[in-house]
Amino acid sequence: MTTRSTRSPRRRTVVALAVVLAVLAGFIVRLVDIQVVNADDHIKDSLNVAFAGGQKLYGARGAIVDTNGQTLAGSILRYDCQLSPLLITQIDEQVLEKKSDARLWADVSNDVAEITGQTPEDVRAIVGAALAENPNSQYAILKQGVSTEQFRALVDLKTPYISCVSHPARTYPDGAVAGNLIGFVGSDGTPLESLEKSQDACLAASDGERTYEQGKDGVVIPGTEKETPATDGGTLQLTIDRDLQWYMQQLIAEQTQTMAAQRGAILVYEVKTGKVRAAAEYPTVDPNDFAAAEVKDRTSSIFTDWFEPGSTFKGLTAATVIDAGGQTPGSTVVASSLENFDGGARVRDSFQHPAYTYTLTGVLIDSSNAGISKFSQKVDKQTRYDYFQRFGIGQGTDSGYPSERAGDLPSVDQWGAQTTLNTSFGQGVTTTMPELARAYGAIVNGGVRMPLQIIESCTKPDGTVVTPDAAEPERVISESTSAQMREMLENVFLQAPYAKTVAIPGYRIGGKTGTGEKSDGQGHYKAGVYYTTMVGFAPADDPEYVVVVTLDEPTKVTSSAANATAFQKAMTQVLKTYRVMPSTTSPELLPKFG
Amino acid sequence: MSTIANATTPARVGRTAAPERSDAPRRRLRVLDAPGRRRRPKLFYGIVAVLGAFLIAAAQMSLSIMTTQGTYEIAALTKEQRDLTYQKQILYDDVAGLSSPQYLAANAAALGMVINEAPSYLRLSDGAILGPSEVAMGTSSVDAIGRAAVPNALIADTPLVTVPDATMDGLPVDVAETPDGGVGNTPPPLTDGLPTPSTH
Repeated sequence: MTTRSTRSPRRRTVVALAVVLAVLAGFIVRLVDIQVVNADDHIKDSLNVAFAGGQKLYGARGAIVDTNGQTLAGSILRYDCQLSPLLITQIDEQVLEKKSDARLWADVSNDVAEITGQTPEDVRAIVGAALAENPNSQYAILKQGVSTEQFRALVDLKTPYISCVSHPARTYPDGAVAGNLIGFVGSDGTPLESLEKSQDACLAASDGERTYEQGKDGVVIPGTEKETPATDGGTLQLTIDRDLQWYMQQLIAEQTQTMAAQRGAILVYEVKTGKVRAAAEYPTVDPNDFAAAEVKDRTSSIFTDWFEPGSTFKGLTAATVIDAGGQTPGSTVVASSLENFDGGARVRDSFQHPAYTYTLTGVLIDSSNAGISKFSQKVDKQTRYDYFQRFGIGQGTDSGYPSERAGDLPSVDQWGAQTTLNTSFGQGVTTTMPELARAYGAIVNGGVRMPLQIIESCTKPDGTVVTPDAAEPERVISESTSAQMREMLENVFLQAPYAKTVAIPGYRIGGKTGTGEKSDGQGHYKAGVYYTTMVGFAPADDPEYVVVVTLDEPTKVTSSAANATAFQKAMTQVLKTYRVMPSTTSPELLPKFG
Repeated sequence: MSTIANATTPARVGRTAAPERSDAPRRRLRVLDAPGRRRRPKLFYGIVAVLGAFLIAAAQMSLSIMTTQGTYEIAALTKEQRDLTYQKQILYDDVAGLSSPQYLAANAAALGMVINEAPSYLRLSDGAILGPSEVAMGTSSVDAIGRAAVPNALIADTPLVTVPDATMDGLPVDVAETPDGGVGNTPPPLTDGLPTPSTH
């Protein structure tokens, strides 16, 4: 029971306690508010204002290497440097008021220009233009793509208004070697052409990030690091041999200039494996400086251009009639230089001659259109069409080059009387260099058609190797047909007018030339200029390499003899590179006339 | 306070001020003639406790200092690594292109080497020589320096290793020019007779 004497002090105590509790409750509410309710916002603010630090981790774009592992394309870092015009004006003001002993911008800009390679006037103009547009501008691009040495030199100037940001870039240590196949990337790193673009899935890297909390001076507070690692790109290995590719590029450039042609190309095809060891052309592009090349030279015309093959198709026709028409290298027809056929078709040879009794070998040696047309009639046109298809004409190859063009083989129901004969000597049909190389590879490789590849594999950074899907080897003609074709084609190179130019001492070689007409774009053929081809293989008894040399509109020598020197040097270098042994047997000369 | 005490022992309300303790232990009360000796608190335990507290605090502080010291070291090493990486990049940029085939071929051609015909092979099993057995002629099948047609923007201005005056564009034309006031290979002109030594 409360007595009067105790009631008043007790009330005071209760009131005091209540006040204390109220203040305590206030604190607790505020504490819960800060620590629990608004905790995330406050943490975010603290990170934004003071603690957060982060760093982007760049993944390196994958390298492109040749068949021996030599780097054709690699990744480096380049820097984009910028200025802060506002800071420049502020510092200049302070210097003029004698509050700072930094150097004036007019002085520093001379050094900057010397480092970056611009003129001092240009550098000052950059800042002037930025200030004219916005007097408080804090951002003006000084130069993009600055090298590491220049970047360090700019940093050594110790000025607060120059800052540089790094970004990965591409370097091509071998310059224009294989530039037509590799392609190039733009200044922002996006791949623009050829394999850099089409194989981006293999080569592209993904960036990572490293976040941490930092104290004064940017020191990382231990235990606060979080890292998402960057993944590098994979390595793309090509089948190309770098040194052989250089030689072929140098050779075809010289020959194109010597023959005053518009373009030239050499394709080296390994017959037994189907791999392309060199694909050289002129003019071509240096990926380090792709702007210097014309737009049409920046891709590979070997894979994207087609042409009318001309007499090289006589080899395919001869293989067809031997395989399916029962002919042999010694079978004969009588042909003069102008022949008329059923249906109003006429075939003319490239040189005047009376009616000869040509053997099939002789038709190939003299490259007689009338002769091969007569031989082509030993089989029906459907059979020839089927053989063309099995040789791969008109179907493109699975090389892996993007936007590769396929030849155009008109379907057999469109073959009128003239076209039926024209296709036997390679007119009225178009093809590409890879298709031609692959077809001749099939002819000489025992009749088995191999695929054609320029990509060897893609090796991911974790070690998995991905090889491209190549077509299965396919038999086109029989072994004995292939043996007879090898003999005939060897005789072509032994008995043709250019035989001395094309001969390689110590080796047996064979092949065929072709002189295709060029369309002028208005339905007619250009007069007096041709697209000349020479396709050959070595060694003739057991072929290992097929080399195709083409010249687009040579003018010094307008026939396919223009390719003879280039072919001889190219094949010599191929045989030297791969240490192919000289022949120990001698060829058998076949008769031209029967 | 007394109200609180009373509030907590309601059973005691209304009793006399001196409660009876029936089961409290008997204490012997005697008259003291002098104040008793104060027991000293055990100093040892106190010192141990305080020292222990200090040690714990010191250990914690030193561990924390060592961790952060490690961070400063890491920062210094990271800076060093960054500088070395920059150096590596600069050196890589310098030598990029020097191993390219066109540069090597230009160097070789500047020395006069030629790329030539097919080689001959010596078969060791029976000593037979296969191949054309030709003497290498002086001409090269391609001209890697006079008509260099495979450009490389990285080494366009790099001097050749074998002939430092030349770049990939070609060998310099040999024109002997004596710069003004320079030292030429021609003897000085005689103006006033042969120089004679002074003899005694």
